[in-house]
Amino acid sequence: MIFRFIEISNDTLFAYYLLSNLIYVVLLIAAVWTSTVHQRHLAGMPMTRLMSSPLTPPVALLVPARNEEKSIVESVHSLLELDYPGLEVIVINDGSTDRTLEELIEEFHLLETDLFYVPEIPTQIMRRIYVSPDDGRLLVLDKEWGHSKADCINAGVNAASSPYICVVDADAVLEKDALLRIMIPSLTEVHHVVASGGIVRVVNGSVVAGGQLREIRLPHRPLEILQVIEYLRAFLVGREGWAQFNLLMIISGAFGVFRRDLVKQVGGYRTDTVGEDIDLVTRLHRLLQETNQPYHINFVPDPVCWTEAPSDLRSLGRQRARWQKGLFDVLWRNRDMLFNPRYGRIGWLALPYLWIFELLAPVIELLGYTTLIAAALLGVLSRHFFLDFLLFGYAFATVISIGSVLQEEITYRRYNDWRDVTTLILFCFLDHFPYRQLQMFWRFWGLWQYLRGDWGWGQLQRVGFQSRDKTE
Amino acid sequence: MRSIFSWIWRLDPENHVILAILDFAIAVGSLLGFIFIRRASRRRYFRRRDERTLAIRKRWDAIVSGNVPPEAWRFDSLDRDIVEAILLDRLDLAPSGEAERLMHCLRSSGLLDIRIYEAGHCSGWQRRRALVCLGRMHAAEAIPALAEALGDPDAKVRLAALRGLGSVGLPEASAPILERVVLGDLQVPAAPLQNALLNCCRLRPSLLLSYVLRAEDSVRPLLARVLGEVASQELGEDLLLLASDPLADVRASAARALGEAAPALGLSALANLVHDEEWFVRLRAIAALGRLHDAQSIPLMVEGLCDSNRHVRLRSAAALARFDAQLEEIFGLVRQKHDRYAMQALVAELERSGALLHLVESLPNDASYQSTECLLLTAFRAGAERFLVDILAHHVDLHVRIAVARVLARSGEIRLIPTLEQLAASAPSWRGQCVTRWVLQQLRESPVPQPMG
Repeated sequence: MIFRFIEISNDTLFAYYLLSNLIYVVLLIAAVWTSTVHQRHLAGMPMTRLMSSPLTPPVALLVPARNEEKSIVESVHSLLELDYPGLEVIVINDGSTDRTLEELIEEFHLLETDLFYVPEIPTQIMRRIYVSPDDGRLLVLDKEWGHSKADCINAGVNAASSPYICVVDADAVLEKDALLRIMIPSLTEVHHVVASGGIVRVVNGSVVAGGQLREIRLPHRPLEILQVIEYLRAFLVGREGWAQFNLLMIISGAFGVFRRDLVKQVGGYRTDTVGEDIDLVTRLHRLLQETNQPYHINFVPDPVCWTEAPSDLRSLGRQRARWQKGLFDVLWRNRDMLFNPRYGRIGWLALPYLWIFELLAPVIELLGYTTLIAAALLGVLSRHFFLDFLLFGYAFATVISIGSVLQEEITYRRYNDWRDVTTLILFCFLDHFPYRQLQMFWRFWGLWQYLRGDWGWGQLQRVGFQSRDKTE
Repeated sequence: MRSIFSWIWRLDPENHVILAILDFAIAVGSLLGFIFIRRASRRRYFRRRDERTLAIRKRWDAIVSGNVPPEAWRFDSLDRDIVEAILLDRLDLAPSGEAERLMHCLRSSGLLDIRIYEAGHCSGWQRRRALVCLGRMHAAEAIPALAEALGDPDAKVRLAALRGLGSVGLPEASAPILERVVLGDLQVPAAPLQNALLNCCRLRPSLLLSYVLRAEDSVRPLLARVLGEVASQELGEDLLLLASDPLADVRASAARALGEAAPALGLSALANLVHDEEWFVRLRAIAALGRLHDAQSIPLMVEGLCDSNRHVRLRSAAALARFDAQLEEIFGLVRQKHDRYAMQALVAELERSGALLHLVESLPNDASYQSTECLLLTAFRAGAERFLVDILAHHVDLHVRIAVARVLARSGEIRLIPTLEQLAASAPSWRGQCVTRWVLQQLRESPVPQPMG
């Protein structure tokens, strides 16, 4: 009986590993193709004309901020300096207990206003609304703590007057033309683009001054470098590939553009989940599939948002556990879409992939590793073959990691220094052992926490950009 | 049922797996090799390109004037690309005399003909690139080739042709676009289409107006939107026809156009649009009135200030805040409306735009001191309380602080007392303390608030 279980488990792991890597190979090929086409498309794109056109639709940048006193001023400055003709920057102070609001008031000479605020999407109580006499594009909302980022964003959606909203983390740095680039599909594609996600990269190690990225460098800590590779693989291969087939289910909460009317139509961001970003995209898919509207949810690989990645194991573990909890929550809530013909390829491909290869991955992999080792120890499997199988899986996955570095290299080349590229490639060999196993453990822990009813966000330790300038 | 591993085992698995590992090791090596070889070759290419660019720039005048014959550089694709890139970049910024010289070079060297040929005979990426380059050459000869590509079944080619025509920027380039749009024969996204028309029709907006009037309802708002941007006085009273259009989007664009073109009867047309049933039409109408900046329109803008839509209110407030000389009249009209939100919106905008500060600073030297003081009292009661207290505490000019102190004292607002007590205690200077204490004393002596104004 035990032997039979071990055999089935090993078979499952084998099939799972092979299928998962094959899917990634397909995504890698699709992503390289899309990137090349995108680069050529951009070559003929008159960015300056879009920039100067009075017909370019305005975008509201929504910046949720809770206890961000270290970086809020620089972030807002950098957002106000973005290249975009019709910009509205709305900072939502989510009942901060530090000096976030005071920093903003002092820096931008904010004045309280009696701006008419209609909470079309219900949110926590709005305390005050501030405008800046220095820059009319800046609006600061001060609201009661809503215990979620989603509540903040909903307040911003209510206050925004632009047809598009772009959610940006307060601790993120956008490249100067990032907003213009992320809007290009919405402005120029024949498809009905309803949302676009941009790429999020790891800022650790780079030099940020005055809210602007001055020099792009790889971080020094191995854990951070591994996250760089992970982000490259997730965004440049995963999301770009999925978006090519209009199956994108995740637009990062750190940087994404949505049509405001649709966000309002689905009732805004859900406040009772930690995976509000994936939840919104899933509900958009649901709405548009149910109403049979033509649409496209896009990923644009070159508008870059730089964000701080956790630099210690504890914070990283919490972050990954939280992501897993969010994913579980959203997939569970939308389980009726799974294999439901009404939702087309979302129900047949995208959601099953998320269930099997993202949500259940830690369970399958950890169980698989255990039974594989047991099989080798009990003699069900040749030990040579066991080692060879592990090596095979490792080499296959490493090829994909290096492929994502290659994708970065042949398309966007943000890391210009050859030493950075060499380091990245060397760390690709650590990506699938031991980093992947660590992640599996954290994600497993997230699932366990969710099942036990612990749905909290957890705390992340931030260094902040100002101190980063001094230390690095 | 046997395990997959057992099945693999029968196929002599160890050899297969080892072979697979070897294959992947080779794949890893190839990827690494590719990355590093590509880096090296790109470095070489860019070095060579920079050298050639430098050499071409040194002989630039001779190349443009034709002293260096085109045959000397046209047959080398790298040189040709560099010359073309420099020519197009300069053409974008060149004054008219220089532009003519550059255009002559484009024509005489055959670069224009090459691109026209490529636009007609190449396919895919090459054709799209040729179309975009043709547009940047701003040459009328390129229009037929670009117009032909508008009918291409490939959406990307159509888009490139549209961009090209937009870049040409001549009124003649708009004709093929407009003809196709009116016939419903051009499937392209709205934004590039509008941008192309915007560029082409800027010099002759009347061309666009005739198409707006005869286009179908599905495209009329799109064309009208462009017209709203390019409208000039040349359009005159013809724009009034659009102000009564059954489509709200067209009326909104007409309002915008009226603000730009300012025809004689524009104000009365805008007066009608201020009462439109759609909020965005009212918004555009108010914005247009703000642009016209005619004191006769103040009552209309005050109506906008009481609008049910907050965007219309804010825009009205912004427009009214620019009428510095008529503030008294504006305050009077707003007060008659008995709309608290309207007054607050106006005061907030005056505060934000700096008009209120200007008013306060002019107070000590103002000939009409009484009326300005009345205005400030009204503003104070409509929400400028914190603003005036800040002036009292921090303004550098003592005369201004004294003038504000008088306004605060006249307000009779006893709820200011705790704030002023704190202020008096923390005032850095003796004079500041005296002024604040005087206000406190006045407020304590007259606890009943005085009537407004």
